[in-house]
Amino acid sequence: MSTTCQSGVDLLMDYLEGVLAPEVQAALEQHVAGCPKCTAFVASYREAPRVLRDATIAALPANRAAELREFLRSKTDVFRKR
Amino acid sequence: MLADERDDTDEVLAARAAAGEASAFEALVTRYQTRVFGLACRLTGNENDAADVMQDTFLQAYRHLASFRGEARFGTWLYRIATNAALMQRRARVRRPSESLDAFLPAFDEAGVHRATPQELSVANHVEELLDRESLAAKARDAVDRLPDSCRAAFVLRDLEDLTTAEVAEVLGIEPAAVRQRVHRARLLLRGYLNALAGGCT
Repeated sequence: MSTTCQSGVDLLMDYLEGVLAPEVQAALEQHVAGCPKCTAFVASYREAPRVLRDATIAALPANRAAELREFLRSKTDVFRKR
Repeated sequence: MLADERDDTDEVLAARAAAGEASAFEALVTRYQTRVFGLACRLTGNENDAADVMQDTFLQAYRHLASFRGEARFGTWLYRIATNAALMQRRARVRRPSESLDAFLPAFDEAGVHRATPQELSVANHVEELLDRESLAAKARDAVDRLPDSCRAAFVLRDLEDLTTAEVAEVLGIEPAAVRQRVHRARLLLRGYLNALAGGCT
């Protein structure tokens, strides 16, 4: 059975993780190389996680770190003066 | 903190903390607080819940140090506690049902060919040029929040926290193949969401 855009999309994760059987991988690569739509799709499939990672980076505010220590001090014997 | 504690491995510190050395646990908190908070923000979608999850995570870790035997890496063990704590936090919150992202899945014709053009399929790559940082951050949080519960944690751990698939499988207690399946679904949904955000088609 030849690879279509749809069947290729189903395989993308496994492809990027390197767990496809060699002949399936070769068929997928051949399809994508000859299909501008899939080439564009794969690029955005790879790029989306990075965009979301960069957009959801959270710094720990100093007051939250202080609250954490206060909380642990109230519940346990850590962060006490010694 | 003692100077040498900055160089000790997690596992050495965990063993010393389990033996009752408070300063060793404090060193672990200092080492992991930013990562745990970041993970919690991504899983809960807001800072207040994330701060609660972070507190709960370190308290539980402290109380269960004796059960950490170094079979897993300490970071993986802590991520498992944090992921479960975030799940509990989400369940405790009364949320309005969020709108599914299914509309953003790729569309194919009868022959299995992408309906959209190459240009339409790749506009997601320009979303950072089109939206300012703050709007994009809000949209990104919203999108991750709208993922199905079944794939949110797998996606966050694998793609946002950069764990390997094997590590995610260990954190979630599922098979690597199941991790790949869940992360793939999340990537498809989020790719389409970003693409729509940038004005393209899925």
